[in-house]
Amino acid sequence: MEEIVFGIGITALAGALATVAGAAEDTESDIGSQGDPNSQVQLAPQMGYIHRIFNKAVAGEPPAYGLWVALGAGLAWAFMAMQINPILAIVLGSALAVFVQGVYATTAYLGRTASLAKFGQPVYIDILKSMTTVTMAHAFVAIFTTVAMCHLMIGALGHPFPLPLLGLVWGIALGAAGSATGNPFYGKERQYQEQKFGAGVPISASGNIVRYAEAGQRNSLDNGFFSAKLGGPASGICFGLIVFFELWRTVVFEELSIWGPIIVGIVVILVFAIIDRYIEVWARKNFGPYTAPEEAST
Amino acid sequence: MSALGGPAQTGGVQPPTTMGLALSIVLIIVALALAFFLVQTAGLIALVGIIVGGVLIAFGVHFVPVGGAPAAMGQAPGIATGVAMLAAGAGLAGLFGGAWAAPFGFAVALAGGAVGGGLLMAITCTMVNVIYVFGMGIPAASGKVAKDPITGDTFPEYKSQGTEGHGLPFISWVGGVIGGALGGLGGTLIYLELLDIYQTQLPVILNATVEQIASVAISLAGIFAVGMFLMNAVLAAYNITGTIEGPHDPKFKRFPRAVIAAATASAVAGIFAIALLELVGVF
Repeated sequence: MEEIVFGIGITALAGALATVAGAAEDTESDIGSQGDPNSQVQLAPQMGYIHRIFNKAVAGEPPAYGLWVALGAGLAWAFMAMQINPILAIVLGSALAVFVQGVYATTAYLGRTASLAKFGQPVYIDILKSMTTVTMAHAFVAIFTTVAMCHLMIGALGHPFPLPLLGLVWGIALGAAGSATGNPFYGKERQYQEQKFGAGVPISASGNIVRYAEAGQRNSLDNGFFSAKLGGPASGICFGLIVFFELWRTVVFEELSIWGPIIVGIVVILVFAIIDRYIEVWARKNFGPYTAPEEAST
Repeated sequence: MSALGGPAQTGGVQPPTTMGLALSIVLIIVALALAFFLVQTAGLIALVGIIVGGVLIAFGVHFVPVGGAPAAMGQAPGIATGVAMLAAGAGLAGLFGGAWAAPFGFAVALAGGAVGGGLLMAITCTMVNVIYVFGMGIPAASGKVAKDPITGDTFPEYKSQGTEGHGLPFISWVGGVIGGALGGLGGTLIYLELLDIYQTQLPVILNATVEQIASVAISLAGIFAVGMFLMNAVLAAYNITGTIEGPHDPKFKRFPRAVIAAATASAVAGIFAIALLELVGVF
């Protein structure tokens, strides 16, 4: 019984760490325009809209976070093998991984923006100086919490994978959850804030991103401020729920039966199916159709 | 004519060419023969397991609703990320669960892997709709079909002007969960087959007990499973080319080509994974 209570505590802690990781990951990727909305940041100057938005999208979020978290986890693992205290080892490993992220962000911004020279888009050095450190700070939070979570899974819950491999697995899952949940909010609600609320962005508006803020030109720090209100926390809840349910069903129900975690997993999936269907029907009822029903054109 | 201005979407179904099929069969037979020659029956069984795992992954990726960049602007339905990336996220979460359940036997581990992958997709797909509905005020609408095959909801009137649709209709949600489950199942199957091989071979080569080599065997099998997962997911993503809404999308019919390619690639990569220790022994 005590073991289960301990396991539940660790599960809750890992879920909380994952929630922070998801929120930091999405905010970091939105400041750097690393998710799918980067296409609009890249497209805008080609359509004549010169902007001051940071853009470091030379890899998708999942592989990028797979790399950084695996790197942080691998270095932490090496430090722990050198008998360094685990907390210090995770901090050091994450800090070193963040330097790689910083180099990546710098070269990616310079490379992506320089490629737009023929459309008149300048490389703003002040943007590079002020944004890179902010993305690094958010990345540190995301990497540290994910590596700490992986360490808990091994040290306290006894997962067989070594720390770097677990870092790769959960780094990719973190990027997948963060980009899936946070990207639409950043892409539609922020980049196209001038478009109508409650409708998709018409394809004809592509590239016409919002470039002006309350005072002066908008930059990516404004975007981070905006997406930290909903996109980031929602990504955090998404990743937190994934980690929590993945651990909880095993920690609690494995004692009852070896099939327990599987049955509970299926039940949780069905519960989410009901929630999803409820949300879908709720939206159809409350928002209503855009036009009168007609036959599909395709 | 689609709203994106491209040609009418026929799904681009291209059956595999005779040359491709013949080459694939030859490569698979050669790989199976090598597996039998190097590691006897156990190698043969393991390679068949790896090929089945690879096929499950590639097939599963076709179920995952991925909208890429247009989905991030509410211009197309699906999840706003890349095909291979999302599938990898789900499949690897499944592998995490499967590897954890490995000591309880083959069936439990496989089921654990499948449920782990499905669970990640269930939560992610639900959160996508939460953001679309409560963050952006946009209802779900498919661009490829007029009616949801499961719920019967109609879509054309819920599609905002100038877009291909948006959000995740229920059929896409179900497709996502099936895709995640198949990915988790395939990844775990590859992991278990390789773990079995390494746990048999390593004690002999290193002259150690099974307990002593456990961490090395688990790490090697895990790394190869992750690698082969990514390989098959990327192959399937090339077959899909861009975005897919799920099992109701005409592009879904392209899967036979990806399945054959994944079987061949898994056979060739699998023989290196299986014969790794034999090769190390040679040097």
